[in-house]
Amino acid sequence: MAIYSFWIFDKHCNCLFNREWTLAANSSSGTVNSKQNEETAKLLYGMIFSLRSITLKLSQSPPANEIRSISTGKYRVHTHCTASGMWFILTTDFKQQSYGQVLQYIYSHIYVKYITHNLLAPFDLAENPSETRGQGTRKINNRHFIAALESFLAPMIMQ
Amino acid sequence: MTSKMAGDTRSHTNPEQDGMTEQQKLQHQLQVFQNSLPKVNQIAFQMLLNEMVPLAVSVENKLINSEIKGTPKRNSSELEEMITNVHITAPLDKPSHKLCQQLYEANDGTREKILERLRSMGNQIGNKLTELLVFSNNPNLVFKDMDLLSVMKFICRDVWKQFYGKQIDNLKTNHRGTFYLLDYEYRPIQTFALDDQSTEEELAMIKPFFEIPVGLIKGVLSSLGYKEEEVVCMASYIDRPTDRPKSTFNKGVSFHVQVNMQ
Repeated sequence: MAIYSFWIFDKHCNCLFNREWTLAANSSSGTVNSKQNEETAKLLYGMIFSLRSITLKLSQSPPANEIRSISTGKYRVHTHCTASGMWFILTTDFKQQSYGQVLQYIYSHIYVKYITHNLLAPFDLAENPSETRGQGTRKINNRHFIAALESFLAPMIMQ
Repeated sequence: MTSKMAGDTRSHTNPEQDGMTEQQKLQHQLQVFQNSLPKVNQIAFQMLLNEMVPLAVSVENKLINSEIKGTPKRNSSELEEMITNVHITAPLDKPSHKLCQQLYEANDGTREKILERLRSMGNQIGNKLTELLVFSNNPNLVFKDMDLLSVMKFICRDVWKQFYGKQIDNLKTNHRGTFYLLDYEYRPIQTFALDDQSTEEELAMIKPFFEIPVGLIKGVLSSLGYKEEEVVCMASYIDRPTDRPKSTFNKGVSFHVQVNMQ
C-alpha cells in the first residue's frame, strides 16, 4: 500500500487541508497546504461531487448511497463523508481495497481531537459569506494536527 | 455534577459478605452512591468548562454595549426602536476563538474585569462542590479537625479527580501556609494550539483558562473556613520534568496557594 495524497474539504466546498507526498521512500517529502494544489483540489472536488450525485441518483432504496472509492487507471481515490459535510479524501495505489477505517480514524482521533477540541481554532474556517461558496483559501495549519497526521500516515506511505 | 466517564463500571464486592470492616462498609456505601449518580459525559463537561472563558468575554461585551446605549429615558420613538430590536432569534455571539483573541488583545482594565468574573464563577462552583463531595459520605474525608494540609490534599485528590478526571501530580509545601500544586498535564488545555508557531502569544491566550481552577481552589478553601481575604492563589506555567512521558502541551501548570493565618 502506498499513499499519494490526502485532502480535507468542508461543507462550503473549500479545501481545508492538502498533503501530497512525492517520494515514497521519504515520508516527509512533498508539500503541505501548497498553493499550487489549489487547481487540483478544485478538480478533485468536482470529480467526487459529480460521481457522488450520480451514485445518489442511482440508488434505489432511501438510505443514502455514499461513494466510497473511485478507481482510475493510475490510482484509487477513497472518500469519507461525514454528516457535518466534511470530506476526507485519500489517493492511493491499488494494493489495498478499503481505507475506510483509516479515514474514520483520521476524522475521529485526529481531526476531532486537535481541531474541534481546540478552543483557539475556529470551528468553521469560512469567516464571512464571501468565503462560503468555494472561494475561501484558509487552511488548517495546526501543528498538533499536522504532526499527528504525519505520524499516523507515515507507515503507509512506504511500500 | 459528577464528571465520571459514562460507562465506568467498576465491579464491587457483595454487600452481604461477612467480615467487612467498618471502613470497607463505608467504602462500599460510597461506591453504591456514586454508581447511583447520573453520569455525565466527560467531554461535554470539559467543553462547557472551557466555554466559560469566551462566555465571560461576551458578557463583558454586552455590558459595554448596554452602557454605550445610554440612559433608560423612554419616549415613544425609543419604545418603537426597542420593539424593532426585539429578535425572535437573538444575534449570536462571536465565535469562541474570536472572543479568546479579544481577551488577549484587551487592555489591562477590561482583562482584569473578565478574569475577575471567571474567578468568581470558579469560586461559586468550588463552594458548592465541597458540599457535594462532603455529602457523598466519602469515608476518606473527615472534615472535623482537618488541618490545612489535609484540605489541600482534598483539593489535589477529590476535587481535581471530580473535575479533571485525574489527581494533581505534585503538591509542595513549606508547612507555613504556602503550597504549590503542580499539574503537568492540565487536561482542559491539552490540545489547545494556535495555527502558527508563535508560542508566546499562545501561552498568553491560554492563561485565562487557569482562572477557573484558581477560583475553584479559593472557593473550596472558603467553604471550609479559610476566608477569601486570607487566601492568595495564582497560576503560572512551569516546565514539565524531562522524565515524564511526552504530551501534546509542553508546559505544566503550577497553582501557588498562599494562606495567611493570623
